[in-house]
Amino acid sequence: MEEPKSSAPSSRSESETDEKGDGAGAAIILFFILGLAASLLVGWIAFPALLYSEKRQPVDFNHALHNEIVDHGCASCHFFREDGSFSGAPKLAQCIECHREANSDDPEEIRFVEEYVKPGREVPWLVYARQPDCVFFSHAAHVRMGGIDCAVCHGPIGESTSLKPYQVNRITGYSRDIWGWNIAGIKRNTWDRMKMDDCAECHAQARVPGGSVQTQKDGCFVCHK
Amino acid sequence: MDQPKNKRYGMVIDLDKCTGCGACMVACMAENNIPFRDDDTDKLLSVSWMHVYRLSNGKPFPHAEECFLPRPCQHCEGEHGHSPCVSVCPATATDYDMHTGIVSQIYTRCFGCRYCMAACPYHVRQFNWWDPVWPEGMERALNPDVSVRMRGVVEKCSFCYSRYQTALNRAYLEGRRELSEEEYQTACTQACPAGAIVFGDLNNPAHRVHQIVKPDLAHGGRPRNPKVFRLLERLGTHPKVYYLTRRDWVRRAGDNEIQKT
Amino acid sequence: MKIDRRSFLAFVFGGAAGTALSPLPWKLTDDISIWTQNWPWTPVPPKGETTYVASTCTLCPGGCGIRVRRVEDRVVKIEGRSDHPVNRGGICPLGAAGVQLLYSPWRVRQPLKKVDGRFVPVSWDQAIGEIAGELRELREAGAPEAVAWIAETDRGTTAELIRRFLTVYGSPNFIRTPSAQDAWETALYLTQGQRATAGFDLERVSFLLSLGSGLLEGWGAPPFVFRACGALQDRNGRFVQLEPRLSKTAAKAHQWLPLQPGTEGTLAFGLIHVILKEGLERKPFVATRTAGLEDLKRNALREAFAPEAVAQATGLEAKTVVELARAFAAAERPLAVCGRGAGRVPGGLQETLAVHFLNALVGSVNVEGGVIAVPEPEYIRWPEPEMDAVASQGMQTPRVDGAGSERYPLARYLLNRLPEALLQGEKPAVRILFVSGGNPLYSLPDSERTAKAFSRIPLLVSLSPFLDETAAAAHYVLPAPTYLERWEDVPGAAGFPKPLIGLVRPVVAPRLATMPTGDVVIRLAQRLGGTLRAAFPWESHEVCLRQTLAAAWEPLRKNGFVLDESFRPQPFETASRKFEFGNAELKPLAEFRPHPAPGDPGVFKLTLVPYDSLRLTAALGTPPFLVKALESEILWKNDIRVEIHPQTARDLGLADGADARLITPRGEARVKLYLTEGIRPGLVGMARGLGRGAHDRYLAGKGASANRLLAAVEDSSGFEAGWGIRARLERA
Repeated sequence: MEEPKSSAPSSRSESETDEKGDGAGAAIILFFILGLAASLLVGWIAFPALLYSEKRQPVDFNHALHNEIVDHGCASCHFFREDGSFSGAPKLAQCIECHREANSDDPEEIRFVEEYVKPGREVPWLVYARQPDCVFFSHAAHVRMGGIDCAVCHGPIGESTSLKPYQVNRITGYSRDIWGWNIAGIKRNTWDRMKMDDCAECHAQARVPGGSVQTQKDGCFVCHK
Repeated sequence: MDQPKNKRYGMVIDLDKCTGCGACMVACMAENNIPFRDDDTDKLLSVSWMHVYRLSNGKPFPHAEECFLPRPCQHCEGEHGHSPCVSVCPATATDYDMHTGIVSQIYTRCFGCRYCMAACPYHVRQFNWWDPVWPEGMERALNPDVSVRMRGVVEKCSFCYSRYQTALNRAYLEGRRELSEEEYQTACTQACPAGAIVFGDLNNPAHRVHQIVKPDLAHGGRPRNPKVFRLLERLGTHPKVYYLTRRDWVRRAGDNEIQKT
Repeated sequence: MKIDRRSFLAFVFGGAAGTALSPLPWKLTDDISIWTQNWPWTPVPPKGETTYVASTCTLCPGGCGIRVRRVEDRVVKIEGRSDHPVNRGGICPLGAAGVQLLYSPWRVRQPLKKVDGRFVPVSWDQAIGEIAGELRELREAGAPEAVAWIAETDRGTTAELIRRFLTVYGSPNFIRTPSAQDAWETALYLTQGQRATAGFDLERVSFLLSLGSGLLEGWGAPPFVFRACGALQDRNGRFVQLEPRLSKTAAKAHQWLPLQPGTEGTLAFGLIHVILKEGLERKPFVATRTAGLEDLKRNALREAFAPEAVAQATGLEAKTVVELARAFAAAERPLAVCGRGAGRVPGGLQETLAVHFLNALVGSVNVEGGVIAVPEPEYIRWPEPEMDAVASQGMQTPRVDGAGSERYPLARYLLNRLPEALLQGEKPAVRILFVSGGNPLYSLPDSERTAKAFSRIPLLVSLSPFLDETAAAAHYVLPAPTYLERWEDVPGAAGFPKPLIGLVRPVVAPRLATMPTGDVVIRLAQRLGGTLRAAFPWESHEVCLRQTLAAAWEPLRKNGFVLDESFRPQPFETASRKFEFGNAELKPLAEFRPHPAPGDPGVFKLTLVPYDSLRLTAALGTPPFLVKALESEILWKNDIRVEIHPQTARDLGLADGADARLITPRGEARVKLYLTEGIRPGLVGMARGLGRGAHDRYLAGKGASANRLLAAVEDSSGFEAGWGIRARLERA
C-alpha cells in the first residue's frame, strides 16, 4: 500500500492474489453458508413437505355447530361405554339419530346423507390421535379418575368449524398430530404432541407413582398391551 | 396422586384337580391371539403361553402315576423385582411392575436377542421364528385387547394383563381404583372346568390365593401351607405361581434339581 | 470465482451443520424406528364395542352354557357361563376353540352338487328342487321306506321335524347317532320301565366306581363331570378307575385298577357276586323297591363270577375284587358308571345292565347321588300329521337297521348295523340317505367297509357345515350354519341329573349361504306338496321353534336355559312298580357273554384299544387350537404315536419313537411308538380322532384313524359293543 503507483500488472497480480486470498476465504464461507442454507431449507421446509402427505376427512365436520346443539358437550357423541371403554369417533348409528334426512341445505350435510346415511356405510373418519396397536390408553383413567379435560390432549377441536387436514407421515403411517405440527417437535400446548415422551412428561408432573423395576417410572404395561 | 396398595398377583394350581384337559391352553390361545402353524408338534418351537406338562412318578406298571402340570409365566419376583429375565434384557423390553407383581413384555421394544429365554428357568418364553399367519377369515377372531406379535420377538404369558386393564377401565368409570377378586381373573382361571386354578392378590388376606398359599411375604412369598410348593424353589426366583398337591412325588418332581445335588 | 475442492468441502460442511441444526436427522431417526415396528402383514384386529351373548354349546351333547364375546360384529372368544347349572363357568378345550369353526375357511360356502366326481356350486333352489325331485320319484315308485336320515340326536325340534318329515313321507328310518346313552336308556327301560335318559348325580357321590368311563376325557358334560370329580376329592370321597391304560381319568383317580380290556362286565358281576354272597346289599332298598333278585342271584352267584374266576379274567387280584366290592357296598353314596372313553360307543347292553344292577344293589337308583332317570322335556306338542296311503304303507315296513325288529326288539336306532344292511341285496335298501350329524363315514368302525356300503347309496345328501368325510362322499352337500349362527333348542345335557332346556341363538349373522337343517326339511316338504306340505305349516324353523316353545320361549330367550329345579326322580313304571332285576324282557339277557376282541390271537399277539382325548374330536373336525395343544405323545410331525408297555416293545425289539406298522384284521396304519409304564403289557393304545381325510390343513393327513383298524362288534341286542381288536406291530 506504500507504493500506490506500482505497476498495474503487479498490482493486478497483487490484487488478484489478494482477491484470490480474500475470495477463497469468502468462497469457503459462501459455500459453507450456501450448504448451510440449503440444508436448513431442506431440513425445515422441503423435508416436512415431503414427509407428509395430506388426506381430507371424508366429511367436513363442524364441531362448533354440533357443540352448540348438544346437551352434554363432547360426551354427547364421544362417550364411555358401560364397560368403561371409550367409544371414540361416533358410529353412523349415532349420526342417524339426528341425520336420517339432511337437516339443512348445507351441501356437505347433503353429501353426508347421500353417501353414508342412505347406503348405511360407516364414515371412515381419520383419527388424528390414532396410536400404534401396542399402545393401551384408558380414557376412563384420565378423564374420570384424573379429571383431565378432553382439550388437554385433543386441543380445542370442539371449537373448530371445519376439520383440519389429516397429514400422514409417509414413513410411519401415523398422523402428523402425534409428533406435532412443529417439525422440530417443540410444543407450546399440552395437546400439540402425543408421543410416548409426552405421556411420560405428564405422568411425571402429576407424580403418578412408578412401579417399574427397570426405569423407576411407570410400568410398561400401564400404557402398552 | 393417591395410588392403591401394591398388589402381588399370583396363582395357585391344584395339581390334584387338574385333569390335563388343555382348556386353559386353548382359552389362553383365544384370549391372547396365539398363532398356530401347520406343524406345532415340536413344543420347543411352538408358541404357547400356557403349557400343560405331563409328570410321571417313574414307577413300573401298575404302580405308574401321572400328574398334569399347567405352566404359565411364573412372574418371578426375584430379589426386589429382579427376576431372571428382567435383569438380563438389554432393551428394557421386559419389566417387573411393583404395583401388580406382573412381568411385562413389550413386543415392539423387543429386538429378539433371546437372552431372556436363556435366563428363564421355566421355559415360559417363546420366540416367534415365523410370521404369525391366520388362514383367510380366521383373523376375524383376533382379540383387539392384545397386540398381535410380529416375527422375531419373544413373548410370554402376561397374566392376561389386558383383562386387568379392561377391569380397571370399568372400575375407573365407577370411580374406583380397587378391583374385587372376581373382577380380574385370567382366561385360564376362568376357563378351567375342574376349578383347579385360583388367581388373585397374594398380598390380600381376603383373596383365596393368599388363604391357600399362606405366603411368607418377608421371605419372597415362600408358601407356609405344606401342601403348596413352587417350581425350582431353591433358585430363589420367588415365582408367584404356586402348585398344590397331596402327592409327595409330585412335589419332589417340581424341584428335581434338589435330588441331583 | 472458481469452485474447487475446498469450496465443495465448505458446502458439505455447511450442509452437515445445517442438517444437524434442522429437525431432519432427529425426526428421521424417530420415524424410521417407528417404521421398524410396523409389520403391515401382521394383522391388527380392529377395535370396537365389546358385547356378550349367552348361548348353548352344541359341539358335544354336554349342553354347556356359553358366553360369546363379540367385538362389533366379530366373535373373538367363547367362555363358559358362570350362572349355568351344567358348567358353572368352566369350558372344555373344544368349546373354547369353537370360534375357529365359525371362521374356518374350509367351511362349505354354498350348496354343492357332485358332477362327474367333482363338486360344483349350485343354488339352494336348484339343490332343494333336484333332491325333492328324487324324493318324489322314489315315493311315486312306492318305495318311501328307502329313504333314511341320520341325525345327531332324536330330541329337540330339528329332530322332530326330520322325524315328522320321514313319517309323512313314509319312512320309519330315522337314525340317531350311537352313544353310550343307547345302552343306558335301554337298561332304564328294562329295569325301571322308564323311557328316559340316564342322569348321574355325580355332585353327591361319595364312592365313584368307573368301569372304563373316560370321566375326564369327554364323558357326559365335561365341565360338570370335572367339577364333580374335584368336589369328590374335597369331600375325601373315593374314586376308582378300572381301565387297561393310565388315562387322564385313571391318573386322577385315587386308585387305578388296570384290568384286562373288555372284562368290565365280568368285573361288575364279580362285584355283585361278592355283595350278594356276603349280604352287603342295601337291604331296605332291595327289599322294598326291587323285584326279581332271585334272577340276578341265579346268574351272579355262579362260579364264573367268584372272585378267583373274575381275577383270572380281569387280570386283577381276587383280594382286590373282594375289597373293592366291600368298600363300594359300604360307602355312603356309591355309584358305578360305564360307557367306555367319552361314551361315544354304546358298549354291550349286558355290561351296562350289570353296572346298573350293581347300582341297584347298593340303592343308588333314582336317589340323590345315584343314577337318575331323567325324562325328556315335553314341549313339542304338534298336531298328528295327516298321512296318505303311501306313507302308512311305508311306515309299516321294518326299519333298515333292524332296530325294533324281532331280532333286535330293544334297540331304537342301530346306525352301526346300517353298513351291513346296505351291503346286502342287489340293490341297497336305502336309495336316499340324508346325514345331518355324526359323520358316519369317519366315526363308524371298519371305515373301509362303511365307505363301501355307503357308496352303494344312489343319493347321499350331507347337511354339514364342513366338507367332512361323509360330505366328501355325498352327492349333494347342503351347508348348515354353525351353532353360532342359528337358533336351536337343546333339551337335556348328557348325564346331567335334572331336566334342562338350553337355547342356541345366532351370535352373528350367517357368514355363508347356509341353511339350518330344520329349514331344509320344511323347504323339502313344501316342494313335495300334498300331505307333506300340510304337515309343515311353519314358514321357517325359527317360527316353528317360537310357536312350539310357546310360553317357554320368552324365559328361554331371556335366560338362555330353563332348569326344572323342583325335579325329583319319578316312581318306577314297571309292572311291579319296582326296580326289576329280572323279568320277561330281561330273560334273554340274563346269561352274561363278554365280547372278545375280533381276530386270531395266534396271528395277532397284541390287542389294540382305542381311547378318547378331549383334545381330539370324534365326528367333527378338530379346530387348529386343539391340534396345536395336542400332546407330542399323541402326534409327532405327521405321525400318530401309539402307547405300548416297554416290556412289549422289548419283546418286539422296538424302541421309543420307532416307526412301526400297526396291523389288524381290518387294516394297517403307520405309527410311531410311545413307550409308557401306564398301559398293560400286550396292549396298543391309540387315540381316536386323527387320520382325517378331509377338513383343514392343520388336521388333514395327520396320523391314522383307529376306526380304520377296528371291526364292528354287535351284541345280542344289536348295539355296537366293540372295545378293541387283535393287532400286531411290525418294524416299518
